[in-house]
Amino acid sequence: MNLTPESKVLVQGITESPASTRAALMMKAYGTNVVAGVSPGRGGLEVEGIPIFDLVEQAVAAVGHVDTAVILVDAYSVLDAALEAIAGGIRQIAIVTGGVPPLDMVHLVRKAEATETLVIGPNSPGIIVPDKLLLGTHPKEFYTPGPVGVISRSSTLTYEVALELTEAGLGQSMAVCIGCDAIVGSSFMQWLQILDEDDSTEAIVLVGEVGGWSEQAAASYIASAIDKPVVAYLAGRYAPKGPSLGHAGILISSRAAAQKAFGVTAPNKMAAFEEADIPVAARPSEIPKLLKKLLKKN
Amino acid sequence: MDLLEYQAKSLFRQMAIPILPSQRIDNPADLKGLKIPYPVVLKSQVRAGGRGRAGGIKFVENTIDAVAAAQTIFNLPIEDEYPQVLLAEAKYDADQELYLAVLLDPVARRPVLLGSRQGGMDVEGSIEQMQQVAVDQEFSPFYARRLTLKMGLQGDLIQSVSTIVEKMYRLFVEKDLDLVEINPLGISPTGEVMALDGKVTANDDALGRHPDLAALSGKRQSSGLARERRSTHASGDRPHSHSKAQQSPEFDPKSKSPISNSESLQLIELDGNIAILCNGVGLTMATLDAVTHQGGKPANFVNIGSLDRYDAANALRDRAELGLELVAQDKSVKVILVNILGSASKTEEIIAAVAGYLERKARANRHIQVVLRLVEIDADAVKKRLGQLPVQLASTLDEAAAASVSSAK
Repeated sequence: MNLTPESKVLVQGITESPASTRAALMMKAYGTNVVAGVSPGRGGLEVEGIPIFDLVEQAVAAVGHVDTAVILVDAYSVLDAALEAIAGGIRQIAIVTGGVPPLDMVHLVRKAEATETLVIGPNSPGIIVPDKLLLGTHPKEFYTPGPVGVISRSSTLTYEVALELTEAGLGQSMAVCIGCDAIVGSSFMQWLQILDEDDSTEAIVLVGEVGGWSEQAAASYIASAIDKPVVAYLAGRYAPKGPSLGHAGILISSRAAAQKAFGVTAPNKMAAFEEADIPVAARPSEIPKLLKKLLKKN
Repeated sequence: MDLLEYQAKSLFRQMAIPILPSQRIDNPADLKGLKIPYPVVLKSQVRAGGRGRAGGIKFVENTIDAVAAAQTIFNLPIEDEYPQVLLAEAKYDADQELYLAVLLDPVARRPVLLGSRQGGMDVEGSIEQMQQVAVDQEFSPFYARRLTLKMGLQGDLIQSVSTIVEKMYRLFVEKDLDLVEINPLGISPTGEVMALDGKVTANDDALGRHPDLAALSGKRQSSGLARERRSTHASGDRPHSHSKAQQSPEFDPKSKSPISNSESLQLIELDGNIAILCNGVGLTMATLDAVTHQGGKPANFVNIGSLDRYDAANALRDRAELGLELVAQDKSVKVILVNILGSASKTEEIIAAVAGYLERKARANRHIQVVLRLVEIDADAVKKRLGQLPVQLASTLDEAAAASVSSAK
């Protein structure tokens, strides 16, 4: 993992829309080392000092090894863009675009595993290392540097949790939203491990949802493999049942047969955290209190 | 998007998965021209499960019985849905009924094959019989054979059932599906296999590259742009998913902002008196939790989604104003809690939307209270902008929830 301000970042789809251009410039303004953009047909141009190339391989030839690709192309082109980045030797990919067809992600995940590529997203504001690095679209206003690592499934909820931490005087070592789509490129477990090994992280907040399966798997992983204190928060305790909320993961979990087959039912999700001895905050404002208690103990 | 049984079966036919002779019945009179010999089974074409138990499946021996049964089924709602179409199908004597499915495991991020020897109506009651095989690399038919052996099948059934699973998998991939299910797969006394019922769920995000499936939903097809594709998702037809869910009208296509008509908003109705307008699914859920925790009752909610997608400033403003109109339609709403987290420039647009909305309401003499939760703003400037409008500002989620709950009393 290279998440230092020096690491080189390439933006795919940099001129795809005004929003993607703005995102690239926002990263650069934050101090991220954006070395190149890729937009087929726009090679040779530049956006406020960022040179644009037609192909990733041309960009890599011109600027040298690239650490991270941030993908801002349309949903049906995401798989191709990610495969192009991997072929260009890039081993960290942040996919901001949402609505990527799940089977494209299955394909990408296989490729990522074979090449040891870390994939964040799709449908994600990416990663922010406060005051150092922005890979994606997190609004910087909510973050301050500090000791808490945040891993989340939801973009705006990541901002909410960061804000509560910031206001309680607890900054963030890193915040990552793994993505809101049904199938995302990296798991809670991968990020728990990364934060467990990260020297600037002293405690971890895991932000999940009541639907879906990932949190359950994460709870047992934390119990067995994570040494740092972890606080969980699951949104949606009082949310209406059913797939009406929008995250596709919830949709799939409504199928009783599948749910049972994967050994998970919604009511025992909280129990899984209890069993693993992980405190669960009832709402975002409780997270700092729980963290402070745990940090004192250590 | 869930397909109806007859639509699923037409996909099965394309894949050469064996299905019985059948005929679509649009009204009871169609049964007079029935080409399938009696006895026949008539099946309600609704998306809900448990049709048999609900009385939506009837066996008939002759035309008179069939017409009467069809009339009954057409008038029988199942989970609030009336069938538009019935399916008349030949009767099949199965010796054994299996369950088969292909779907995605979101944790492993791989397709899985599911199978049980206890198929039919009781599948959810005998869930411990369910076997699964993860397709962790490129698919090859041995994955399907692995499943049939785990299910405990023997002899010729290993090959005949695994061939069905293989075809289901190919359909799953070819059409970008969320689910292919055959329940039951009938096995005749001579060992022939037959898909007696089927469920296919198309992936809403992938519909833009499957015009044949998109056409089944009866909605306009997209141009292939990501934003426009999301519209099929946002306005996705899941009338069964939440009994009180309803769709909003689409944006005015003549609106000046090019993106404002690209995505419809979904209003989810509950039974309280506090309306909630948020951006993002997680934040919406957290806001519902906060209001409920403080003793309030949400009346409904709308998630206006990502703010970044709206390049033109007035597009976001239009969208937020439409969201406000939607949540306030319900006369029991006393307070609207607007909780928006985004960068400062987007926040300005939300303030403008709230002010514009309330000014319009004031002119129409409808008074409604708004609690506006905003972060890192110049409160004095905002207060000046809002003037005498009935808006309470809050800077945290807990404050906003508390203010909404006390105003709603």
